[in-house]
Amino acid sequence: MTEPLFVFHGIQKTFAKVEILRKVDLSLYPEKCTLITGKNGSGKTTLLKIIAGLEKPEKAEIEFSGKSHSWEKIMPDICKKIIYLHQQAFLFSSTVESNIAYGLRFNTMTREQRRKSVKKALELSGLTEFAKKQANTLSGGVQQRVAFARACILKPKVLLLDEPVSNMDRQSREHACHLMQFLKSTGTSIVITSHVPQYFDGLADMHFELVNGKLIET
Amino acid sequence: MEGLLSTIQQALQLLLYGDAELWAIVLLSFSVSIKAISLTTPLALLLAFSLAYGNYPGVRIILAFFNSLLSVPTVVVGLFLYVLLTRQGPFGDLRLLFTQSAMVIGQMILCFPILVALGYAAIQAADVRVWETARTLGAPRWYIILTIFYEVRYGLLAAVLTGFGRVISEVGISMMVGGNIMGYTRNITTAIALETSKGEFAQGIALGFVLLSLAFLLTALLSYIQSKNGGNT
Ligand SMILES: Nc1ncnc2c1ncn2[C@@H]1O[C@H](COP(=O)(O)OP(=O)(O)OP(=O)(O)O)[C@@H](O)[C@H]1O
Ligand SMILES: [Mg+2]
Repeated sequence: MTEPLFVFHGIQKTFAKVEILRKVDLSLYPEKCTLITGKNGSGKTTLLKIIAGLEKPEKAEIEFSGKSHSWEKIMPDICKKIIYLHQQAFLFSSTVESNIAYGLRFNTMTREQRRKSVKKALELSGLTEFAKKQANTLSGGVQQRVAFARACILKPKVLLLDEPVSNMDRQSREHACHLMQFLKSTGTSIVITSHVPQYFDGLADMHFELVNGKLIET
Repeated sequence: MEGLLSTIQQALQLLLYGDAELWAIVLLSFSVSIKAISLTTPLALLLAFSLAYGNYPGVRIILAFFNSLLSVPTVVVGLFLYVLLTRQGPFGDLRLLFTQSAMVIGQMILCFPILVALGYAAIQAADVRVWETARTLGAPRWYIILTIFYEVRYGLLAAVLTGFGRVISEVGISMMVGGNIMGYTRNITTAIALETSKGEFAQGIALGFVLLSLAFLLTALLSYIQSKNGGNT
């Protein structure tokens, strides 16, 4: 296998004296998809949020370009390369178009480049008809697709998808899996949590189950 | 009875025929209060944000402090400021007593706790996913703050309007540190309070109409905002 992008070591997290994660290790490889299953409340969302830098662990080491760093030290640098998508898609209260453009506002693109990029993303994800719609008037499945497009457009190194297809019908789901496959082929490392692993049969390269705060390969 | 009716008639005439003195007083009131609220809003909302999102000790105490200041009597703020600004006071050299600036400062002190407390309530009610999404999509800190403010914009607007309603209708501060000087520091409320005592009822009633209409307008706006707010979540 190629070198991993990031290796997370010994992730520990406790909520109200309950140990949710007990020294979890996880390596993220480019062009690979990792599937994580586990019971409700087993800590999947918590794990993804820690990897994305949104939740603070008690302890975690990250190996990155040959060196080991503490989570606190290195997160500000690497969280730009990692995007987390919520289990319940969250969209800002503006149009679909402006939601998708959100992350592009912080790079050096010109207005024209940004417009083109958004147009292309809308087409790729089949959302062109919704472009001018207010995001919070859309159905749950379409919202999930918008959130997905909003992340993909930024070409992250790591994409963390928390139950990405839970609200989608079969057609949208297959379309989304296609997009994930494409993203994977461009080098992105994808992590997916799901209660229905069969949905990702052709996509996932590794499959772990989170049991009692530990990742177990299945 | 007849006297009252004719006074009301006079008041309406003053309003409708654009009595210069009357409208100058109204304008002065608005100018002072709009200055006070616009100078206070940015700082108060930033403090409200840091209270909602900062994880530092003392957040609860600071909030309790501002909440207890919500109903502070305006004459007490006026008195406090008077003591500071009077010739013999610590800031007497600034010569601010009986100026519009003193009124603005007093009204800023009055609306600051309102904006912090109501702003905090609005910001704190924001979905935590706003912060998480903005951050994971790479927004810099200042843009994350703006994004959160935008998401709770109706709540923040309600806070600003409530603060404005309080400062435009207060009389204690304007009276004590403004001094009701005609054409300079006489505003709606001090005019009503002091001119009435001289038997000038018509002007007082006309100004009262202006304040009442403003109160109705603010209430209507607030309930409209609340319906917007409810519809969004
Ligand atoms: N902010 C929090 N404060 C306290 N406890 C929390 C918090 N977030 C999560 N927990 C607890 O941590 C545990 C793991 O939650 P998490 O959301 O990670 O589970 P999950 O595996 O994603 O579950 P699901 O399959 O339902 O999505 C749960 O017991 C939850 O109650
Ligand atoms: Mg979850």
